[in-house]
Amino acid sequence: MLGLANLYSATYAQGAPGLSPIFRRQLFALSAALTALVVVALIDYRKLERFSGVIFVGTLILLASTLVFSPLIQGNRSWLLYGSFSVQPSEFAKVGLVVVMAHYLHHHPPVQKSTLRDLFILAFLAFCPVFLIVLQRDLGVAVLTTLVALTYLPFLRVTVKVWAVLGFSGAVFLLGVWKFFLKTYQRDRILDFFDPSRDPLSSGYQALQSKIAVGSGGIFGRGFLEGTQTHLQFLPTKHSDFVFSVLGEEWGFLGTSTVIFLYVTMLIWGLSIARNAKDTFGAMVAIGVTGMFFWPAAMNIGMVLGLAPVIGVPLPLFSYGGSSLVSAYIGLGLLLNISMRRYIF
Amino acid sequence: MNRDLGGGPEQVLQGRIIICGIMIAVTFLIFLIRLFQLQIVESNVFKKKAQNNSIQIIRLDAPRGRMLDRHGNVLASTRPSFGLLAAPHEIHDLRGTATLLGYLTDRPESWFLERLGSLPWEKRFQRTRIIDDLSFDVFSRIESHLYALPGIFTDVQPRRHYQNGTRAAHLLGYLGEVHAVQLKREEFSDYLGGDVIGQSGLEKRFETHLRGRSGGRTVSVDASGRVIETIDEVSPTRGRDITLTIDLDLQTTAERALATFADRDFRSGGITVVAVETGEILAMASHPTYDPNDFSGGIDSESWSNITRNKGKPLLNRVLQNYPPGSVYKPIVASALLDDRLITPQDEVTCNGVFRFKGRDYQCWKRTGHGKVDLHQALRESCDVFFYQNGLKIHIDRLAEFAQFFGLGASPKLSLGQEAAGLVPSSDWKKNQFNEPWYPGEMLSVSIGQGANLMTPLQLAVSYATIANGGTLYRPRILRNISSSSGIITSSEPEVLGTLPISSETLREVVVGLESSVEHPNGTGTAAQLDGIRVAGKTGTAQVVRLEATEHLEDHDIPVRYRDHAWFGAFAPVDKPEIAVAVFLEHGLHASTAAAPMAAEILGTYFKNRKLKNGKTLSYERYQTVAN
Repeated sequence: MLGLANLYSATYAQGAPGLSPIFRRQLFALSAALTALVVVALIDYRKLERFSGVIFVGTLILLASTLVFSPLIQGNRSWLLYGSFSVQPSEFAKVGLVVVMAHYLHHHPPVQKSTLRDLFILAFLAFCPVFLIVLQRDLGVAVLTTLVALTYLPFLRVTVKVWAVLGFSGAVFLLGVWKFFLKTYQRDRILDFFDPSRDPLSSGYQALQSKIAVGSGGIFGRGFLEGTQTHLQFLPTKHSDFVFSVLGEEWGFLGTSTVIFLYVTMLIWGLSIARNAKDTFGAMVAIGVTGMFFWPAAMNIGMVLGLAPVIGVPLPLFSYGGSSLVSAYIGLGLLLNISMRRYIF
Repeated sequence: MNRDLGGGPEQVLQGRIIICGIMIAVTFLIFLIRLFQLQIVESNVFKKKAQNNSIQIIRLDAPRGRMLDRHGNVLASTRPSFGLLAAPHEIHDLRGTATLLGYLTDRPESWFLERLGSLPWEKRFQRTRIIDDLSFDVFSRIESHLYALPGIFTDVQPRRHYQNGTRAAHLLGYLGEVHAVQLKREEFSDYLGGDVIGQSGLEKRFETHLRGRSGGRTVSVDASGRVIETIDEVSPTRGRDITLTIDLDLQTTAERALATFADRDFRSGGITVVAVETGEILAMASHPTYDPNDFSGGIDSESWSNITRNKGKPLLNRVLQNYPPGSVYKPIVASALLDDRLITPQDEVTCNGVFRFKGRDYQCWKRTGHGKVDLHQALRESCDVFFYQNGLKIHIDRLAEFAQFFGLGASPKLSLGQEAAGLVPSSDWKKNQFNEPWYPGEMLSVSIGQGANLMTPLQLAVSYATIANGGTLYRPRILRNISSSSGIITSSEPEVLGTLPISSETLREVVVGLESSVEHPNGTGTAAQLDGIRVAGKTGTAQVVRLEATEHLEDHDIPVRYRDHAWFGAFAPVDKPEIAVAVFLEHGLHASTAAAPMAAEILGTYFKNRKLKNGKTLSYERYQTVAN
């Protein structure tokens, strides 16, 4: 755990050198995140379960308030500003969603046949934050939150017929989203993914430059602070969404494979906690938190490597962003919590 | 709360968790493979791309070599040109930028709005030059407002400058953007589209010397094209200097002489001056003219069409064009007659104003007739009947041979472009051209420089120089030397094309006739007289149409294109000739009163410049080397 945190801050420092205000804020966020981790890990998660409803509703209120108060930042309306602090409630909404869904599944254990009613309730629970996030026009996080909710799907026992209905309605839903909901630029991004030469200077630009950055790193990388792609600004949003390409350029294959290895270790660790948890709630929370890490990591790295469309998703524990960091540490805190209490009654 | 105390998740759940774990592992394994592909297998490709992203080579243009006259006066040099550039990507406020630029320059805001708005999208990171040659005032004004103009830059580039404007324009030539056709040729392989290149005259002939070698600066740039650091720099090498045989003072005198009377007595013409003993061209003036400065930064289409559509054809170097010579040709005929002993200088012909041949009347220009004339008098008063009658004694091919001795009918090979060779008629020529034999009657008009005869003003000067120096035909030269910063690289030496197989007595007799044409009161060239220096010369009035078409008209009623050409060829001093002058006024009518005085003016300038303050006169050899 500490190793991971260390790696994080080290990597982060090379990720955005010279951007000291950003870096300082990130350090501050890190201390807040560590505090949150300790607090979350110390309170018995079974006590937390009692407040899961409150936590969920609380995050929903935070989300809703952004619609009223927050300014537009980079086309999104997802930030709450408190003086010089800004909070992105959608990050916390994921934690709230995980907790409340785990709570529901605890009381309607998935080992028994899930009913359509269960599905609807779970879908409704997921729909609340996703809808609010969509209203904020934050496509990436909305997709991510949906995916986190869908993490639970394999753990439900439903009939083949229900699976078919689910599959069909999912497809119809996706088509509808593509046709009526996505903005032209968002559709372009996805089309650019399938054909990057469509327009190498506009929306395919980031993806191309990111691939160049990673590829030019070679085996050993160009060395700390030596990346030309990074430091000459060819790579946009390098400290947030494209932090992995910075890592690739400066630390090469050794750096990237190490990080991949650490991620896999962490995710498997999360799953093993779920396996060993002594109650369903713990298992479900562990699964949800693992999903919370897996989906953005997979989407982000996939995007950086040109394997997935460019969708603004931060790389958990690496990208700049206090809220994402704090929520990630809360997730880690939950995992620690469940892990610590697997033998205690 | 404690309902499932002690009961762990069921086996099913366990199984599914393992499946999830495998999926996670597979996903990241794919990433690992992809990383291996990008960072190890294809790494070199991406390294190269990253370098192309950030390394740029900026070309540093070499200043073009200068062109100097024989005394070192600068005819063409390089001056700084202030340019305005824009990087559209960095302009935050298009309208505001256009407004401010409109205010600072003499162009309207709308022009900037359109220009900045139409910059190509794919060049958004690059700086594009939008104005080429700002005045220093405007440049300084913009420079001091750059803080308020993000995305707008200035630069300084070398630009060709012709100190004296139109002076010697035809000789120097002009620059232009390299043509697409030229770019395909191997000799231009190191040129890029948009490069400026000598497109005519000496600029073209000496392009390889004048151009110099451009340098380069390797810089690293950021994504917006901003230069982060200079990695290395190779300074450009200045082009070589070309020193010409031209004497700026004579050139100026010649051009002024043409310009003063242009549009009144004639529309166009040319004057050239050749050094008798070396073949060096001291002046070559053509009128009308143009300002090659207009071409230096790439000429705009309006100015270009103004120049090319101008009926006066200002781009044409008239000194190198073919015209019927008229009576200036008579000295050549005279030397042929004398040297082949067909006549003696004392042989007389009676001129009563007309010569009848095979039932046709051939007029002398003097209707009343010259009376009894010998060779000297015939040259002095330009008697046509004398040459009609004696011309019949010589075979056309023998005359052609003589004409060629004097350099007629051959291109001067100056490599200036637009060089005509003149035309020396012969029976072969007649056969080839018209498939007809030569008729003796044609001899009459050829003997007085009419007929098929064509000559360029330069050929006139060269042939008279050959008469003047006693029979050595020099190749006319325009280049003195080429020098770089380390000294003279090549210099051109006099080149003898041939020594005339004509006796010196023959030439002496011709010179006597030519001298009396100027110095004798009855001569046709008296307007070319100078104080204290004896001048030899010959007028020429070349008919453009048959005499009958115009003889009934007063001069000013003759349509310009039917008017006679006026010629004057001269050399001086007679005792030891130094320079030969050819004056040609297209449709100028008056050889004696318009062309001859111009020759006098030029000879006068030459001899005045050779005179030192102490009253002594510089020898020609000294004149060649000492700057005035």
